[in-house]
Parts: sequence; C-alpha cells; structure tokens
Amino acid sequence: MIEFVDISLGDGPQVQCGRCAGSPERAAFRSGAEVVEEAGAACKGWSRGTGPNIRLTGAEPFTHQELPRIVAGVMEAGCRRLAIDTDAVALRSAQNAHGALSAGVRHIRVTFLAGTEGVHDALAGMPGIFDSTREGVAAYRATADAAQLPVSITVAVPVCRHNLRDLPSAVGAAVEAGADRVEMSVTDGGIDLAAAVPWIVAACDTGVVNGVWVEVGGVPFCMLAGYDMHLADAVRGRDGSKPPVCTLCPLDGVCGGAPVGASADQLALLAPPPFAAKLAPQIARARAQEVC
Amino acid sequence: MAQPMRTVLLGLNSPGYRSLALGYLRAYAEADSALAGRCAFETLDLDTSVDPWWAAWRVLGLEPDVLGISVTCWNARAVYEVCRIVGSVRPECAIVLGGPEVGPAAEDVLAAHPEVSAVVRGEGEVTFAGLLAELARGGKAWRVDGLALRRGDEIVSTPDRALVADLDSLPSPYLTGLLQPLDGGAYLETYRGCPHRCAYCFEGKGYGKIRSFSDARVAAEIEAVATAPGVKSFSFIDPVFNLTDGRLRKFADWMAPHVARGLRLHTIEVDIERVDDEAAALLREAGVASVETGPQTIGAAALAACDRPFDAMKFAAGVRALRAHGISCECDLIVGLPGDSAYDFLAGLRFCFDLDPGKVQSSTLHVLPGTGLWERALELGLEFDREPPHEVIATPDVSFRDLRRAEVMASSLQSIYRARV
Repeated sequence: MIEFVDISLGDGPQVQCGRCAGSPERAAFRSGAEVVEEAGAACKGWSRGTGPNIRLTGAEPFTHQELPRIVAGVMEAGCRRLAIDTDAVALRSAQNAHGALSAGVRHIRVTFLAGTEGVHDALAGMPGIFDSTREGVAAYRATADAAQLPVSITVAVPVCRHNLRDLPSAVGAAVEAGADRVEMSVTDGGIDLAAAVPWIVAACDTGVVNGVWVEVGGVPFCMLAGYDMHLADAVRGRDGSKPPVCTLCPLDGVCGGAPVGASADQLALLAPPPFAAKLAPQIARARAQEVC
Repeated sequence: MAQPMRTVLLGLNSPGYRSLALGYLRAYAEADSALAGRCAFETLDLDTSVDPWWAAWRVLGLEPDVLGISVTCWNARAVYEVCRIVGSVRPECAIVLGGPEVGPAAEDVLAAHPEVSAVVRGEGEVTFAGLLAELARGGKAWRVDGLALRRGDEIVSTPDRALVADLDSLPSPYLTGLLQPLDGGAYLETYRGCPHRCAYCFEGKGYGKIRSFSDARVAAEIEAVATAPGVKSFSFIDPVFNLTDGRLRKFADWMAPHVARGLRLHTIEVDIERVDDEAAALLREAGVASVETGPQTIGAAALAACDRPFDAMKFAAGVRALRAHGISCECDLIVGLPGDSAYDFLAGLRFCFDLDPGKVQSSTLHVLPGTGLWERALELGLEFDREPPHEVIATPDVSFRDLRRAEVMASSLQSIYRARV
C-alpha cells in the first residue's frame, strides 16, 4: 500500500539460510553514482502513491564505502522514505545510528531466520549475529526516540524448510525487538506449502495478538483461507469468481477464487516459487495487456 | 447560617486537557443568583492516567455534598469506578452525571449504577444549576427539567429542557477566570450543533439547529486564550470550523495579531470538501497549522448507512489546497462501519495515503449512545460492547478477527507513513 522501489547496492554476504543458499563471501558493490542515478530515475518517475520511497537492498549497506554519498544523493533526488536492508550491526554504535537518522534513513529492515539466537545464528552461519542485530535495532529505535524522529522497523522472515517451526517465535522476537511490521516470504522453491501454512498462520496470529502486522508473500491466498488479509496488497475486491489465469494454476482444482482484476504484479505475488514458472506465461500476458 | 453545599466537579480528561464542560457548568452555577452563598464549588481536573481509586481519594478528601462528573465513552469505566467508591464511602453525597455517554441513556445508567443519584440529559448548565438549587433548599429535584433521577424506588425522567436560546447567557469559563488556558490543551467553542448528521457521531449532541455565540464573545475568548501566559497554540471544539467563508474571514481578522507573533491553531476540524484555495488561504491567515477531517470511509454502502456525503474529487482537492498553504491534514478513517468490509477499509487507507495529507489516523467504530448507529444497531446487525467505550465487535461485513487484523495492519501502515523526511 505504501510502496518502495528496491535498488540493489550489489551482491555480498547477507543474513539468510545458509542451508538453502550460499552467500557470496566478498561483497561486489555497485558504484555510488550508479545507485544514485537509478534512485534518481525512480524518484523522478514516481507514480506509486505517497513517495518517492526507495529501499537499498543487496549487500550490507554499512560496508559500502560510499554509503553517506549514496544516502545524500538519494535524498537529494527527492526521496521521502529511505529504507535500508541491513544486519543492523553497525547501528549498535550511537554515532552510526544518529548519522543514519540525520541523513534521512527512517526505515530499516532486518532479517530474523528464527526466534532464538541458537537457531538464527546456526542457520545464518554467523555466530552472534542475532544478538548484534537486536542490539542495533534497539539502538536505532532509542536514538530515533530521543530525537523524536518517527521511524519504522521491519523484520523480514524468509520462510524455508529449515525454519518452519521457528516462524511463530521469529515473529515473537520481532515483536520484542520493537518491529512495526513483519514481512514473511516463502523463499524456498522446494518447500511443501501445505506443511508450511500452519506455521505461517500461527506466525500471523502471533503478530496480530501482539499488535504487529505480518504480511505474507509467496503463498497463494487459496492456501491462507481466513488469513487472506495478510496478503492484503495482493488480494482486493474479491467476489469469489476466478480470472482466466487460474485455469492453468496447479492449484485450480482446490482454489476458491483469485482476486478479480488483479494486476500482473499481484498475480506474481500470488504465485509462490514452485508455481511461478508455470504461471509465467499468463503473468507475461497480463502484463502485456496492462501495457496496452 | 447553614454551611454552603459543597459541590465537587470531577473531570477525568485526556492528559494535557481540562474539562471545558465543567468550566461551563461551574461558570453558570456561580453566576446563578439562586445559588449565591448556598453552594461552594471545587473543580478537580484530573486525567485518565489517574487510578480511579486515587481520584476517589481526592474527591472524598473534599467531603462533597454533591459530586458532578462529565462522562464520555472513553472515561466512563473510570467514572463508574469512582462513583462506586464514593457512593460506598459517602452515601449521603449526591452523585450527578452528565455528558454524551450518559445523557442519551440516562435511565439505563441509573438502573445500572445505584450509587448515581441523577443524570443530566442534554445541555447541562441550566439543568445542573437548577438541580443544585433544589438540593440546596431541600426541594424537589424532580421538578427540574432535563433530568433522570430516582423518586423513591422509581427511576423517572423529567420533561426535556429547551435548549439555551442565547448562548451568550452562559458565562465563559475563560473570561470568568475559572479555566486557565493550557498551551496546546485549550479549546474554544463558538457554536453548538453540527450541520451534518453522520450516524456514528454524537458531536452535534442531538441539538439540531446550530446556535452560535456572538462575535463579540468569540473575539473576547480568543483574546483571552491567545494572550494567556505560555499559550503558543490552542484549538476549537467546533465540529466544522469552516462553516462559511465569511466566518473564516472573521477568524483570520481576530487571530491576525496573534498569528503575527507566532501563535497557531491546531487540530481544527474542517469539512474538507468545502476547502478551496481561498478557504485554505483564510485558514492559514487564521493561524491554522493542522486540521482534522474525514473521510471516515470511502465505501458506498457505509456512506449510505451513515448518512454521510463524500465526493472523492472534492476531498482530494481540499487536501491539495491545504497542503499548498502549508497546513497539515489529518485524515481519519473508521474501521467497522456497517456496510464496510475489511477491504473497503483498506481501500480507504490507500485513498488517504495516496493523497499524502500529512497524517492518517484510523480508529475502531464506537457505537455511541444517542447516535443513529446506536438506535439502528440491531437492524444493521452491529455487535458491539454494551459497556463503554462501546467498541464494535463484529458486523455482518467484517468478522471479529478481521476487525482486529485491520486495526493492526492500519497501525503498521501508519508507522510506515509517518517515517518520512
């Protein structure tokens, strides 16, 4: 509903499940000028509602030598909401937290693979990272509160075969860390979604009863019966009927209906990795029709 | 000579505010010749953070003969707790309630709260003073119009009281010095009633037509509040500040000298669909820094159920005009209105965010006594908490769980919206 354009800073080590995918050991950054140019173009042509809003993704931003210049350039381009994907380790330093806030970084997104230090660190393959991230988030929030600057903290929870049972506790940890929002997304193409859904809905409930919203990506709404609001950006104005695209969906036989008038982006959101390839032609066709 | 009747007026206000209603009650009663020398007043302006037991402790320390409390949906639970304690410890004290929470349901309140002696229905100043006069002389309270009260074992309502025809006959709490303006927390009232009849709202308090204080009175109150020590901003309690352009012109003139030295008006409620460039300029001249407005909902079914007009184009134009003049706008939405699904509410959120008004605020529907929704709740299938603050529990269009989800999602989105440069 409040959209961000993701702009990659490059590739590099990230907090992610090491059992699912390896991570580059060394960062390969894009140049600051290149990033700022892309951000400038995104700001200039902004047509996505309140904004422009940019999120710097990819490699850890605080290891990019040109970060101050990039942030300044993005803000100069007219960005109103600047978010960064970070492990927040650098934000443990009050000086860094203050510097980021002063420069205009009012949104951070950190990743929790689980709700406990042991599981998170083991999956990430980075001993001590869970506590360091939480300390960084706390310092960022405290610095913002002291300066009376409104900030928003998002916790990303990638869902894979290895952390299913930890999803509710990961949301609990996000609550404890002061998150405003959790983004839970299925990233594992080989996951058994039917087995994952009970854990995902339990995590959604954990968020709601603790006052923190959990948005789910990568799961078709038909598998989240009663929880479709958690896919709110993808599902709107549903009246029960199905658009033609559903006929080729492998879940068509059990699907109760997809959003009427869904955009290509929304359809893409509805298609989890195992089915994305099969839906690709329909998504491409819908996108072409929208362009027309 | 008999001791004057000790009358304590208790306000349980939002933090940072004092009760304007109690100010009016006391100012009128103190000016009433029938009460001269027979009644002594003390106002306890506390806030809702005070534990009701300690509020009762403060009240009882004053050994009141009469305790008057203004009740709204959000302080009612605390008020009833205070009443129970005071009624237990000092049963000889007459407890009198008034305000929007209890007036429209006066007899029910008396039935549910045996320690309460009487409830003022509707406009309170004249009725409350009349009741005090009867109590002071040991007379018959049931002779006072505008009350619900106990007569023996019965609960009875006296005839409705006519509205005050000349609002200037009500002494000003500010001009009499009874109410000291607080920075940011002072509110002025320039008229009573509301031009709209939205079914969820009781701001018009069923008064029907609009009655205004005179220009001279309003100008004098503005002068008093604007020049009070430490006051840098204040507000108006009027449901629609921009009733007419002519009225805005007057406010701009009255406020001009104060605006010049930096004083600002905050959280002014406006009918935004009537705000064009000229009106926005006048609001700016009047020192308005921020306004509060709807749309409450953009769902056609809910708008119809609530008797509320909405023109998206005019609304958006109003927000743009205000922004162009540097005025921050708070767009309010209500989740749980009859006819609105959770997705209708989310569409309203998107509509507001896309306008980029400055602030977007959502709240859950409260089915308030005296409102159209209160009266039609059964017909509309509204499940709501009968206990104050009367939050909606579920509607035919949105389940209990989805209502709670919508609240949490809205809160999350608002935090994202707020976090900007």
